[in-house]
Amino acid sequence: MAFTIKVNGNTHSVDVDGDTPLLWVLRDVLGMTGTKFGCGMALCGACTVHVDGVATRSCITSIDSIGNSAITTIEAIGATAAGARIQKAWLDREVPQCGYCQSGQIMSASALLASNPHPTDADIDDAMSGNICRCGTYVRIREAIKQAPQSTGQGG
Amino acid sequence: MIRNHIASRAADTNLSRRSFLAASGAAGGGLMLSLSLPLGRSEAAQFEGFAPNAFIRIGSDGQIVLTMPYVEMGQGTYTAIPMLIAEELEVNLNQVRLEHAPPNEKLYANPLLGVQATGNSNAMRGAWKPLREAGATARTMLVAAGAKRWDVDPTSCRAQDGKVVHVPTGRRLKYGELAAEAAKMPVPAGVALKAPANFKLIGTPAKRLDTPAKVNGTAVYGIDARPPGVKIATLAQSPVFGGRLKSVDDAAANTIKGVRQIVRLHDAVAVVADHMGAAKKGLAALKIEWVDGPHARLTTADVAHELEQASLGSGAVAQTIGDVEKAIASATTKIEAIYQVPFLPPRNRTRSLIAGRCSRSRRAPRRSSILPRKKRAGDRPYPREAAAASRCSSSSEPIWRMSRKSKCRRTERFAFTM
Repeated sequence: MAFTIKVNGNTHSVDVDGDTPLLWVLRDVLGMTGTKFGCGMALCGACTVHVDGVATRSCITSIDSIGNSAITTIEAIGATAAGARIQKAWLDREVPQCGYCQSGQIMSASALLASNPHPTDADIDDAMSGNICRCGTYVRIREAIKQAPQSTGQGG
Repeated sequence: MIRNHIASRAADTNLSRRSFLAASGAAGGGLMLSLSLPLGRSEAAQFEGFAPNAFIRIGSDGQIVLTMPYVEMGQGTYTAIPMLIAEELEVNLNQVRLEHAPPNEKLYANPLLGVQATGNSNAMRGAWKPLREAGATARTMLVAAGAKRWDVDPTSCRAQDGKVVHVPTGRRLKYGELAAEAAKMPVPAGVALKAPANFKLIGTPAKRLDTPAKVNGTAVYGIDARPPGVKIATLAQSPVFGGRLKSVDDAAANTIKGVRQIVRLHDAVAVVADHMGAAKKGLAALKIEWVDGPHARLTTADVAHELEQASLGSGAVAQTIGDVEKAIASATTKIEAIYQVPFLPPRNRTRSLIAGRCSRSRRAPRRSSILPRKKRAGDRPYPREAAAASRCSSSSEPIWRMSRKSKCRRTERFAFTM
């Protein structure tokens, strides 16, 4: 059946099975490839998006569970105050290496910052431990999250 | 220094290792300087106009475009390679825009490898001289164009910050203003490269050019390729090396919305669908029987053990510098470590067929999506699945076998994962 979802402020109608993961709707049906496939089992965090502002693994979130919730992806996170600050900090610190996981990292970090403007190391560990980076950019990620509150958010 | 395997292929055209540079008028009256690997002149002539190849393009807006034959995988290629051009061209890195090269082994093979591939730290070594020559040639032609405009001796002019300057009078023209005229200048032979002592960019820290696209989702990885009409396939392969497919019951899979085709191979089954969600669901719905073959009892632990045993031998000596044994024996600090890595990564491929010809898959995809996939209980030991593009007909033509050929036998768009 067709589902109507709100992504980055736009409404889309998609005709897929209800158990189709949001990740594939975004990437393959809507063509929004900024959200990445890593493991497909919510183990790596590469597919993280926001559902009503909450960092969510899109690879295990079925399309029929979305309802009227607002989905935000990496393509539009720069339009939020926290997202813009995070992107600016990511640029300043040159966080990415290969970059494949960074969409998910930024989405998790943005959700953290939106709810906790001045996170401690423990807060960062809690929020970011589910996002795996094969390149090992964790040190710069932590620095960027700490820098982000002071950022003016001109990134992206 | 450069071992150019392409040269041997082009031997019948009697061209050797030198790079071939050709200038031509680009769209918009700009200067297009195409850099190619040694090819026959008749082939080089085809580079004129819009033919995509490894080139520098300077538009009338002053934008300098470099088509990148090398894949950015986090190693900094998209920053370091443009530095070579910018250094000799006397421009800033922020004036260089990058385009990724299309798959074309004739044009974009790494000179060191002879194939269009990125790896083993070969990109910079392969590009080091030819791309600097390309930049220096463009610079020389721009200076010549400026000198001609002013009717002065080119030796009284120099290139600086994206402009040609007439030193005695201080007059200056931006590259963009000279691009159309520079295109008409003769291509100089044997241009002088800058001495390392005069490098302004090479050897200096630089902000990576690929970072902005990696923080806003616009960076395109291999798995993100979306050619028109793309379909997605995933496959299950024999869980045992050397095993083969015995039977498949695809009745349930064929009823799943979005599933387009089930393809049987001798050692694998692929599900082609409108999106990966349907492809994976279809794959899970298949009832597959395998014939394990002679390696039925071979385990991952066995393989690891065999490799470990093999590593205990003396090995082959590639290079000897100094007295290694003596140095180790006298070292005050010794660090020993054993590294074992699993089979990596989940690979993906995109294949497309245009006008009856199958494009060769780019190396980029498999180099770009390289996250390890976790093994889970009940999972196949060597999972092979990822996105792929396909518009398969209802054929059971073995995709796997076809993929190993450089030319396709069928007029169809297909893809596979491995």
